[in-house]
Amino acid sequence: MWAFIFRRLLYNIPVYLGIILLVMLALRVQDPVYAFLGKSPDQAQYDRIREDFGLNRPFVVQYLDFLKRIVTLDFSERSWDKRMPVNELIATSIPPTLLITLPQLILTGAIAISIGLIAAFFRGRGIDKTLVFLTVLGMSVSYLVYIVMGQYFGAYWLNQRFDVEFFAVQGYDERLSTVGFWAGSPIDALGQWFRYCALPVMIGVIVAIGYDTRFYRAVMVEETNRDYITTAKAKGVGRTKIMFVHMLKNALIPIITRIMITLPFVITGSILVEYYFNIPGMGRTLIEAIRGKDFPVVQTFTALFAAVFIISIILTDVLYALVDPRVRLK
Amino acid sequence: MFRTRLKRATQCLIKPVLAGLLAAAPLAALPATAAANEKVLQLPIRTDGPKTLDPVAGSTTYENMAVSQIFETLLENKYTNPYEFEPRLLAKLPERLEDGKRYRFTLKEGVYFHDHPAFPDGKGRRMVTDDVFYSLKRIADGRYQFKNWWLLENTILGFDEFKESQNASGATFDYDAPVEGFVKINDREFEIVLREPVYRFLWVLTMFQTAIVPREVVEFYDNPDDFGFNPAGTGPFKLVDFTPRRRLIVERNENYHEVRYPAREEWSRDDRRARMHMAAGERVPFVDRIEFTMYVEDQPMWLDFNRGRIAYVEVPAEYFDQAFIRQTRQLRPEFAQRGVTYQANELLDFIFRGFNMDDPIVGGLDDRGRKLRQAINLAIDLEEFSEAFYNGLTVQYDGPIPPGLDGHPEGGRAPVSYRGPNLELARQKLAEAGYPGGEGLPRLQFYTSIGGNNAQQVEMLRRHLARVNIRLEPILVDFSTLIEATNNRRAQIFGFAWSSDYPDAENNLALFYGPNEAPGSNHYNYKNPEYDALYERVRVMEPGPERTALYEKMRDMLIEDAPYVGSMARTRYYLVNPWAVNMRPTERYWAWFKYVDVDDSKR
Repeated sequence: MWAFIFRRLLYNIPVYLGIILLVMLALRVQDPVYAFLGKSPDQAQYDRIREDFGLNRPFVVQYLDFLKRIVTLDFSERSWDKRMPVNELIATSIPPTLLITLPQLILTGAIAISIGLIAAFFRGRGIDKTLVFLTVLGMSVSYLVYIVMGQYFGAYWLNQRFDVEFFAVQGYDERLSTVGFWAGSPIDALGQWFRYCALPVMIGVIVAIGYDTRFYRAVMVEETNRDYITTAKAKGVGRTKIMFVHMLKNALIPIITRIMITLPFVITGSILVEYYFNIPGMGRTLIEAIRGKDFPVVQTFTALFAAVFIISIILTDVLYALVDPRVRLK
Repeated sequence: MFRTRLKRATQCLIKPVLAGLLAAAPLAALPATAAANEKVLQLPIRTDGPKTLDPVAGSTTYENMAVSQIFETLLENKYTNPYEFEPRLLAKLPERLEDGKRYRFTLKEGVYFHDHPAFPDGKGRRMVTDDVFYSLKRIADGRYQFKNWWLLENTILGFDEFKESQNASGATFDYDAPVEGFVKINDREFEIVLREPVYRFLWVLTMFQTAIVPREVVEFYDNPDDFGFNPAGTGPFKLVDFTPRRRLIVERNENYHEVRYPAREEWSRDDRRARMHMAAGERVPFVDRIEFTMYVEDQPMWLDFNRGRIAYVEVPAEYFDQAFIRQTRQLRPEFAQRGVTYQANELLDFIFRGFNMDDPIVGGLDDRGRKLRQAINLAIDLEEFSEAFYNGLTVQYDGPIPPGLDGHPEGGRAPVSYRGPNLELARQKLAEAGYPGGEGLPRLQFYTSIGGNNAQQVEMLRRHLARVNIRLEPILVDFSTLIEATNNRRAQIFGFAWSSDYPDAENNLALFYGPNEAPGSNHYNYKNPEYDALYERVRVMEPGPERTALYEKMRDMLIEDAPYVGSMARTRYYLVNPWAVNMRPTERYWAWFKYVDVDDSKR
């Protein structure tokens, strides 16, 4: 297995270098210096900024310099826009994102798999149609509508009507990003998490659940036609056991594929949610960096995301072998 | 059977959710801030807030808003009338010597910097003359990328030469090197000698970028950016916490020098009726702490204002009808009953579409180019733009001088005017330009930035011009590309806006001064020797009827040459919650939070 992992990592190095190269080239199609000029700039200011950003060096030198940073894990370069070290910026952006995306991933997965199983088992019947209708309805409404309605009814209206603040309209308590807060006062931390993160998580689940349910239902429907299900039924195995033991186990490969593909996006976060709820996570950091022509942040983010993506693909293969004895890693 | 199962399943789902909500409710309702008995002022910052608290590295309104609480300038706009200034770190207004070429300054006694580990024993020291010179020299330091150099360029004797020599290749910036125009008399008195007696210099000294900083604190940090996260100034508030994009909290500076609320007689009758004078003579600041919340979207800010969580709000365009009756522009009764008050401020805006005067089609000062530009002006209906995109809350006017400033035409209409819509005259001008019925005129390229409602604005612009057979090719790009295209003179026509840096029309007239051509602020590349000669005269004149007459002459020259289509200025509406006392929002400057008090009984 280790040889397999090593080989796959080796094969992916050119892909990784290619991704970095493409992103760095694409970024430089437009001159970023203009985004940083003050009012009434002159050539001296332009030249100074270009020099400070290292853009006066040949592209190859810039590329090799960034690769060196990746190899040495040195991301201390300052953000051009936010003026703080990129590693600090990314390190402070990851926890808020994870506090939203991880619960969202777990809840969405658990609920969608359960609904998919139930719907597949009762295929064509009322319960199947109702569940599919509801989940499709959920995904058909724009994310933005949920956000706007969620903020209004969930945060504002509830507060005005019952004088209880379940959810904040927007914002984030940065103590949530510290382990000390969770370890020192877990109840308080949970309360603050609920206040700032629960509404975005709920909205994310409602939107994502439709896509996942349709996928899992299709997978499960395929499984219900297999011989082993008929055999299990003939042997008199109960419905629950057939669903949650036999079917689920055999459907694990597509489930793992789906979850593992989603995994890198747990780090990137949701741009819309983070923007509208003013959560300083990775999604917002990235979009602000792209808008602000903040190359160090965009490049580092790309390097990080590409690495996580490649690793998750390799891990998916490894997991296949673990859950299905027919799969061999070569 | 099925129903029973469904019911059971529903109960299984709903029960834990409800239980969770109920359990979490009291936890979620925990107060997020502040100790008891503290007067806390909660304020909004639109967008994700300041990126730095270092005056010399800042440039945006949000940086101005934050920096102005911690640092102070030698002069400051008056709260009673932001179009005038008063001494802040000075004992009195600067003395004007040698017909305005030399100014003598006397620093105020008893001004101390905030405590900081860089000072001996961590105690803030007294501000002295050297701090002023040091702070101004920072503007010339290339490490700050000359972001605010335009403020002092060609202004102080020997300062441009100082900048050149100190930033020469291989040189280390020496803050102790002399500048001819900086004359120290003693620790409290000094003179600044100007190259020319430019009046705007005093306005520059009100701008937050020229705020006074202590050298040892800046040099305490290895990286020049770090001072922006650990600032120490002389301001009414000192920093508690600055986490970019998340929060900014400042608290009262106990050692703040004596500054008092404006006297009763300084307030106008209307202001006195609004009880703005009630705190007259009291020492400021009033509040113990200011908590800024960043809002990147308008809805949360609007909802938080309505919940009474923030002191005031700039009414977002899409919520205008919720707060005001559009026809009368009066506050809706439900807001008035809650004790909410409002204020409308005309901004010093110059919203325009500019022409690149170097362009062979739309440019040039000859009849052909001039008449084409006049035709374009005449075809456009600014009123319709205002109604469609600004809720009708703009003032349309001729020339580049916004309302409220000397040189602004009475009623917005100048003696010479090509303001549309006048399609008949537009067609006539087009024919005179050599394009009868638009024939022979190629499609014109219009650059504007993506975002907001620009795409829709472009559609209206196209429709207006199509009425006289002028075809427009819109090019929507991000803002930096727009700047690049105008600086490289690639953009034939471009959409921009200018907000005056100080309330003097000279600031706007400089936009058309030949030597300021791109990449300078003269994006139009308008070069008219007669205009330039007039500009050189007015910039060294003091306010008065003679200068105003010249402003009007220059304004009319611009209207005739039409290097832009315009003009509009927005009116901004603010709502203020009843618990925010003495609050009169203005965007002319941001050092006014020290005058605001909080009445918690009205929350």
